[in-house]
Amino acid sequence: MRSQLQERTLGAEHIVGLGGSSWKRRKLVLPWLFVLPALGLNLVVTIGPAVGAIYYSFTDWSGVGKATFVGLDNYRQMLQSSSGFWSALAHNLLYMCFFLTVPMAMALLASSLLAPIRRGAMLYRMGLFLPYVLPSVVTAFIWQSLMDPDLGLGSLIARWTGFRGLAQPFLGQPHTALPAIAFVDNWHWWGFLMVLFLTAMQGIPTDLYETAKIEGASRWQEFWYVTLPGIRPTVAIMILMTSIWSFLVFDYIWILTQGGPAGASEVLATLVYKAAFQNFQAGYAAAIGLTMSLLAGVVIAIFVVLRWRGWEI
Amino acid sequence: MQKGLNHTRITRRQLLRGMGVGVGLLAIGGLAQACGSEGSTPTSSVKTSSSPSQVVTPSASPATAASPTGAVPVGTQPVGYSGPNATLSMWFDTTGGAQGAKCVVDAAITPFNSMQSKVKVDPTFRANAWDATRTALAGGGGPDLVGTPGPSFAVALATANQLAPLDEYIARYGWKERYLSWALPLGLVNGKIYSLPNEMETLVLYYNKTLFQQHGWKPPRTMDDLMKLAAQIDAAGIIPFAHGNADWRPANEWFVGEFLNHVAGPDAVYQALMGQKRWDSPEFIHAIDLLVQMQKNGWFMGSLARYYTTNTNTRLAAFGDGKAAMDIEGTWVIANLKNYFGKAAHNNNEWDWVPMPSSSGKEIFDLAIGSTMSINANSKNLDAAAYFLDYFFSPEVDARVVVHCGVEPAPIKISASQLKGMDPRQIQIFEHLVQASNEGSYGYTTWTFWPPAAENWLIEKIEDVWAGKMTVKEYLEGHQKVFDQERKEGKVPPIPKR
Repeated sequence: MRSQLQERTLGAEHIVGLGGSSWKRRKLVLPWLFVLPALGLNLVVTIGPAVGAIYYSFTDWSGVGKATFVGLDNYRQMLQSSSGFWSALAHNLLYMCFFLTVPMAMALLASSLLAPIRRGAMLYRMGLFLPYVLPSVVTAFIWQSLMDPDLGLGSLIARWTGFRGLAQPFLGQPHTALPAIAFVDNWHWWGFLMVLFLTAMQGIPTDLYETAKIEGASRWQEFWYVTLPGIRPTVAIMILMTSIWSFLVFDYIWILTQGGPAGASEVLATLVYKAAFQNFQAGYAAAIGLTMSLLAGVVIAIFVVLRWRGWEI
Repeated sequence: MQKGLNHTRITRRQLLRGMGVGVGLLAIGGLAQACGSEGSTPTSSVKTSSSPSQVVTPSASPATAASPTGAVPVGTQPVGYSGPNATLSMWFDTTGGAQGAKCVVDAAITPFNSMQSKVKVDPTFRANAWDATRTALAGGGGPDLVGTPGPSFAVALATANQLAPLDEYIARYGWKERYLSWALPLGLVNGKIYSLPNEMETLVLYYNKTLFQQHGWKPPRTMDDLMKLAAQIDAAGIIPFAHGNADWRPANEWFVGEFLNHVAGPDAVYQALMGQKRWDSPEFIHAIDLLVQMQKNGWFMGSLARYYTTNTNTRLAAFGDGKAAMDIEGTWVIANLKNYFGKAAHNNNEWDWVPMPSSSGKEIFDLAIGSTMSINANSKNLDAAAYFLDYFFSPEVDARVVVHCGVEPAPIKISASQLKGMDPRQIQIFEHLVQASNEGSYGYTTWTFWPPAAENWLIEKIEDVWAGKMTVKEYLEGHQKVFDQERKEGKVPPIPKR
């Protein structure tokens, strides 16, 4: 007969033994159980419609009623020169080039200037971040009024100084519409980048700067050899996100010009909207949408490949 | 399209004037004569209608009143509802502001809910209600009472079996007699009617009357007159047309549609809509050429770029202040014009109107329907929904909503006395609309009679023509291609026979 202690020990060992594999199983399963509700919601809201979009992109579907399978017809239509796809894609790429340079440079400059400031730092950060918290509709309407050639900021400057260069209908001219929209979007966006870079800069050890000073580095050399490498992961992730978001841009363009004048600010997202909700061509819209996702996927793939090759991004 | 959101205060003078022209407004009923599928009997005098159920007596001036020559259609009392208690959902669009929607609820929904207890309408205000409705219907849901921006949209929903047929209710409630005879067929899909048209509109040429008097200009009757006058106005340093599309890009189609109908002629447009004539025919090319010339001359707000960046408030302010002389626009703008003329706008200017000029000089009024109402095929309360629609589209209720909320009337027979408080100029427009329709002199607006992709082609690609990226011929050839495809797919809305 085993003693109670032996039994307890044996029981405990048994429990430990069972709990060893059962604990391991629980350790594997439990996190999934916690994640399951969110995952389920994601499946329903994101994956489900995404799979549906893939299917509908191969159909002639008005958005209501039945969908008729048409194979690659939607993609063929999209790739024709008359569809507007190529010029819209070109506009998205221009948008990407703008946002990979101008706001990045502004944010890096502002954050490196603000980083050493202690007094009033929060005030500066709040002031520069404030545009980001405004809804895009509000920002767009403010700037639409400011850009009015007769009643806006440009005409005010013209009345004070005689300089009429800014009293132009920027949103109404094909060659200035897209840059004007990019300007408005940048005004909204760059403060957010600045705050991100500033936070990343504050994680750089100060002794690196001290060492650089001792070595006789100039301000620019400090920035180039200490600051930039120190915030490289943040910069890399923002380059990735900016590139992807450039394919998705919609709100400012829709509010300010709806892709006009004469298609000068048309982008892929506005093409999708018009196809789906104005032309009742939801299948064709799904084809364009899927293409946008593929383009974003190409950007992600580039990053993955570079990382795989050892780039520290 | 655009809805006025103002409550109209009735002065004594307006009331008397309204009563004086009031009888003439019964001319609305005469539309049935010209537009009905049975064909129309042109009346020898504009003062009478051959239909015993309508009174058509347009008056020559606000001061005179013509006597009714037939029975006035009695305001229809809703037929009683004997079904189970029901709550109906109805979505109201609040894009651009909720004031108009709330006015309609106050003027029509609240009294309906108060006057009986069996059927309640539960209004919901939401922005982009149409997008929400389409999405909800696709998922099998959506409101019981389905509003759409126009007949072509309702046709798409009906084709997808998302709307309930209304023929049984049309017979039960006598809607065929209530509606103008060209109106109900707009909801026909495969032989059944699925939507009731609402917000009857047309487009005219408004002009700054005070400015015209100061310069000795006469309102134009023909397109030649219009072009010469616009050149004169431009030479005087005044903007000929207060046009801009910054806040409503589809405004492009107002001008395209007007020029197609009023230069090429409504007969040609009808033939093209029926597939009997090509859109790139010489008369249509000439029509769009004239429009392009106007834009190139900078007659729309001073330049093409200004046209793209001028919103409604700015252009109507210019119109009211006399900086712009004319405005080609729909009857929806009338409710707003009083904010830009006279005391409210701190100027001493007045506006007036003439029919949009035509090449022939004949009065042509283009027919338009701004929205439709239907019943959700998945609604559990079809009979209750029909009971409400019978109330909503009764002459008394529609007139109340028109007068109090500044929206446009449904194409039903409303007695003039029910429209007291309406701007007498607006009443005159409808009188003339009826008169012209009696004579078969009506045209077709793009948002009512075109299929969706072809309509959007007209709106979008005209900007390419204005920018010189496309010729007029290419524009119309492209339109023909898109139109043909949609015609093949059965997407062209029903067209009233001429």
